[in-house]
Amino acid sequence: MSSGVDLIFKIAAIGILVAVLNQVLIRSGREEQAMMTTLAGIIVVLMMVSKEIAGLFDAVKTMFQF
Amino acid sequence: MIIKFIGAVILISATSLIGFSLANDCSKRPRALRELQSLLQMLENEISYLSNLLLEAFNRIYEGTNSDTAILFREAAKNLGTNGITADEAWEKSIEENYAKLSLNKEDKTILVTFGKMLGNSDLEGQLNNIKLMSSQLKLQELKAEGMRLKNEKMYRSLGVLSGLAITIVLF
Repeated sequence: MSSGVDLIFKIAAIGILVAVLNQVLIRSGREEQAMMTTLAGIIVVLMMVSKEIAGLFDAVKTMFQF
Repeated sequence: MIIKFIGAVILISATSLIGFSLANDCSKRPRALRELQSLLQMLENEISYLSNLLLEAFNRIYEGTNSDTAILFREAAKNLGTNGITADEAWEKSIEENYAKLSLNKEDKTILVTFGKMLGNSDLEGQLNNIKLMSSQLKLQELKAEGMRLKNEKMYRSLGVLSGLAITIVLF
């Protein structure tokens, strides 16, 4: 249970950080790098979430006993 | 738990320090370029009005000012003191060793080295023209550096802190 809440906090914090980094980079004119960091943030969050999704599919499988 | 906290603090301060030092470098560059220009002006005066030898001129310039950039001249004078080194080699060697300390760029270094090559190799008129050319090039670099500084200084600082935070959050 607690690992779920931790994950949510982590994802939220990464989201805030990526938003701030994005703005800083756009303000100083480096737009391609801003886009790159946004992309990197998305990839990191995806990696963190995919494990949970695999667990979800497992649970659904065992629930319906495919 | 507390060790995790200490580790996070160390990580964040490490990346912030890197960011701050890059920002510092960036902000010192225009001032160093400006000092270089005024030192070159002094060199021009030494050569044209006092007709001193290079070694003496370098030493007098170093004595006569208290800016950091003058160490370039002091090192060049020291190198000239040893035997078998020509003037442009002495200048170039002192630049190779010191340009990073003064927060100067690779482009600045190239300009200074080109100056050195013409140093010992022409008459009075040629030297003065050389110095004038160098001054105008350095002025151009200074304007560009000032522009870059306005954009980059804040960015490097925030980048340092934020990347530290990002790594901490991803790892913990």
